[in-house]
Amino acid sequence: MGFPLLSLIIFTPAAGAAVLMFLRSDDAVRWTALVVTVLDLVFSIVLLAGFDTTTHEMQFTETVPWVPALGITYALGVDGISALFVFLTALLSWISVLASWVAIERKLKAFMASLLAMQALMLGVFSSLDLFLFYVFWEAMLIPMYLIIGVWGGEGRVYAAFKFFLYTLAGSLLFLVGVIALYFHGGETFDILALTAQDLPFGVQSWLFFAFLIAFAVKVPMVPVHTWLPDAHVQAPTAGSIILAGVLLKMGAYGFLRFSLPMLPEASVYFSPLMLALSALAIVYGGLLALAQDDLKKLVAYSSISHMGFVTMGIFALNIRGLEGGILQMFNHGVTTGALFLFVGLIYERTHTRSIADYGGLMKVAPVYTVFLALFTLSSMALPGTNSFVGELLVLSGGFAANLAVGAAAVLGATLGAAYLLGMYRRVALGPPSVGARFKIRDVNAREMVAILPLAVFVLWVGLYPKPFLDIIDASVTHLLTQVHGRENGQ
Amino acid sequence: MTAAALLQSVIASLPEIVVVTGACILLILGQLVRKGQEHFFVSASIAIVLVAALATLMLANEVRPAYSGMFIADRFAVFFKLVFYLATILTFLLSRKFADIEGIASSEYYVLLLFALFGMMIMASATDLLSIYVGLELMVLCTYVLTGFMRRERRSNEAALKYVILGAVSTGIFLYGVSLVYGLTGTTQLDAMARAVTGDPLDPGLLLAVVFIVAGLVFKVGAVPFHMWLPDVYEGAPTTITAFMSVGPKAAGFAVILRVFLNPLVAASDAWIIVAVIAVVTMALGSFVALVQDNFKRLLAYSSIAHAGFAIFGVVAGGQDGIASVMLYMLIYAFMNLGIFGAVIMMRNGDFSGEVIEDYAGFAKLHPGLALLMLIYLFSLAGIPPTAGFFAKFYVLVALVERGFVTLAVIAVLLSAVAAYFYIRIVMVIYMREPERAFEPALTPMVRATLAFTALGTIGIGLFPAWFLGLAQQSASGG
Repeated sequence: MGFPLLSLIIFTPAAGAAVLMFLRSDDAVRWTALVVTVLDLVFSIVLLAGFDTTTHEMQFTETVPWVPALGITYALGVDGISALFVFLTALLSWISVLASWVAIERKLKAFMASLLAMQALMLGVFSSLDLFLFYVFWEAMLIPMYLIIGVWGGEGRVYAAFKFFLYTLAGSLLFLVGVIALYFHGGETFDILALTAQDLPFGVQSWLFFAFLIAFAVKVPMVPVHTWLPDAHVQAPTAGSIILAGVLLKMGAYGFLRFSLPMLPEASVYFSPLMLALSALAIVYGGLLALAQDDLKKLVAYSSISHMGFVTMGIFALNIRGLEGGILQMFNHGVTTGALFLFVGLIYERTHTRSIADYGGLMKVAPVYTVFLALFTLSSMALPGTNSFVGELLVLSGGFAANLAVGAAAVLGATLGAAYLLGMYRRVALGPPSVGARFKIRDVNAREMVAILPLAVFVLWVGLYPKPFLDIIDASVTHLLTQVHGRENGQ
Repeated sequence: MTAAALLQSVIASLPEIVVVTGACILLILGQLVRKGQEHFFVSASIAIVLVAALATLMLANEVRPAYSGMFIADRFAVFFKLVFYLATILTFLLSRKFADIEGIASSEYYVLLLFALFGMMIMASATDLLSIYVGLELMVLCTYVLTGFMRRERRSNEAALKYVILGAVSTGIFLYGVSLVYGLTGTTQLDAMARAVTGDPLDPGLLLAVVFIVAGLVFKVGAVPFHMWLPDVYEGAPTTITAFMSVGPKAAGFAVILRVFLNPLVAASDAWIIVAVIAVVTMALGSFVALVQDNFKRLLAYSSIAHAGFAIFGVVAGGQDGIASVMLYMLIYAFMNLGIFGAVIMMRNGDFSGEVIEDYAGFAKLHPGLALLMLIYLFSLAGIPPTAGFFAKFYVLVALVERGFVTLAVIAVLLSAVAAYFYIRIVMVIYMREPERAFEPALTPMVRATLAFTALGTIGIGLFPAWFLGLAQQSASGG
């Protein structure tokens, strides 16, 4: 066991949150939070730099006994899939701090502390190699997120916070029973790798698959358990939306990748048609809902449901292109949708309206803003040259290989995406400047630019040269596939 | 009984003797101390409890049967006694200022608490239905009086009266069960009872006896269908006494339940089905009725019913993990529940009662630190990690699934999702409302110490449960 880099990455923001408690001035709070998140981003870059892409083995592992009587350990480690999301979390957390710089007007200290606590817990989820530890991180996230939505959200914040909390809690608790059942079926251990090596009977796998599915499907969210998402997104402050869309939604998909597929391979294969159908439903249904929205944030929220449908479709296509596309699409969605929420937040700070009907001709008054908005809009609809194109193409080719009808539905969804996104852009950015007459709109300032640029860089980088990103996950995905199919064929 | 056996018995029951002697001395001193000097009793009582705790720990190294099989000092009893000491000491700390505000400061208040502690200690150590009865009665008699301690307050009187009447009925039922057992087996000792029935198909008369005994005990922990007294008594009693009752006597009730239920007599019957039904109904009733409460104390009463239901799931699971899970649950519940009651008690100041949930609107804005503490207790009561409340529930679920009761585990978690709603509703009121008034919490150093200590326990056990788990497991194995 070498230097505990992962612990450092997880506990830096936690320690930062504790330090914030003792600060008096808002400026000190802002800068401390920024320094902590930048530091954490640097650590996560160090992690990626030291990451060996040739192996699927867990790296940077740490193991400390925690509750030996129940076989619980404090075990951390990352493979290619988790390393990518550790980085994404660190990146988006830093941007969230920038996005909250002036947007949060009251109780800034508590807000930043919640944000940092949230970051620590999210990083913990992606690095846990112990199921109990994973669950603790996973469930503990409810507390800061409940506060972020409920205290600093919009008018309907209390309702949205309750809905978010209870939906996720109900899902997670069934997952907990599944975890405990798995503990006893898998030889009284919570070690994720040891549990992965277990060969469970198909009946047990099926039950566990559904227990896990409820928890993960709520988080993704998949239709029909998606209804918390529009409320939570619309009411959450900008940083909350970025974290929600960018990282939280990924956790459901990550759960499928880390638990459902490798631990319950036969059930995953058996139920993959169901999952594909639900994914296709989410893609089309989410797209149709987005088409009907007038609220900018709601539109992006529903588009998230549609896009996460692509992710689950890629995962349950259960082939290499689908899986790699799905994972890459998780990263892309984090970057692009995070950026879109940031943009909605930026314009909302200026005008205090999110209704698309109130806007028009933004191009004339805020040219830089609209140019970047165009970039992220195009990225969201997967224009070639942007990040989502690569991911979506891989997912589609994987999806078509798995099931023709599902692939066709996904193409329909992608077309819908073009319709609502371009429609939104046209009504907001082009045409006569109706909004400029009513509001004084300034263009993006330097601080906002600092938050936007890295996201733009990743949009183009993944779009034009995705190889480094695919390399990170490749070995792990290949290994995952052998786990799923190898065991299935072996029987 | 020989002199040597008597000496052994005295040594085994040394902690009990310390408490009862101390209580008697305080009772006499109470007549001598002048009015206004009652604060002396707080420190004196705490000292007595600490001495008893020391004696308990010194005697914890071996099993000591005493008084011809009526009493035993084993690790199981030690664990529960430590929970009782914790609850009693924290109640003393919370009481000082509160008793002044309510005008109930007197030596009897502290003496009665000590006698109640004595009763609970007997309950934890009793190995005979009759010694159980003696401990039980001593404990409830003291709590009857303490419930009605606010003599000029109608609510308090009403609560005490209800408590006495219902309590007497349940005790009668319990005693009737004991008499049936004696008639059928010729003994009231738990071990001898077990020997008397081994091998035989269970006598229907014995089953009836078990049902009566169950009914009597279930009353004390406030489980359905014997929960009716609980919300009224909790609401009417002085809040410090409510805090005490929700932790101490409840844990004592569970100590007896574990001793009686996990004894082969009951294990041989299919009594666990009855217990499982009680657990489900108790938890469901507590969780759903708490949803519509506006009074904080009443809400905590129903919350305590729900928690009792969850702990009874541990009894259903049985086995070593089942017993240990109930014990750990009681320890953790003591921390978090005394914590949240401490917060309610601290709000009582001047004319402000702090009993209505709406009274807490915007509390976080004016007292962020205290609000954070309440947040910790509430999320712990809701069972959200990384707090101790999560680990308590987790371990009960482990015990249940280990025995194959997966359906019960699913019911338990779904009901705790319901229960989570009313806890986070309080968090919402504290954090997401605008304050309507200035708060002046009665923050004495003692109250501060209590809050800090309980918060430390709630977070500490949540983050580092290993030692406490080991303690509970060791104690559950008797020996």
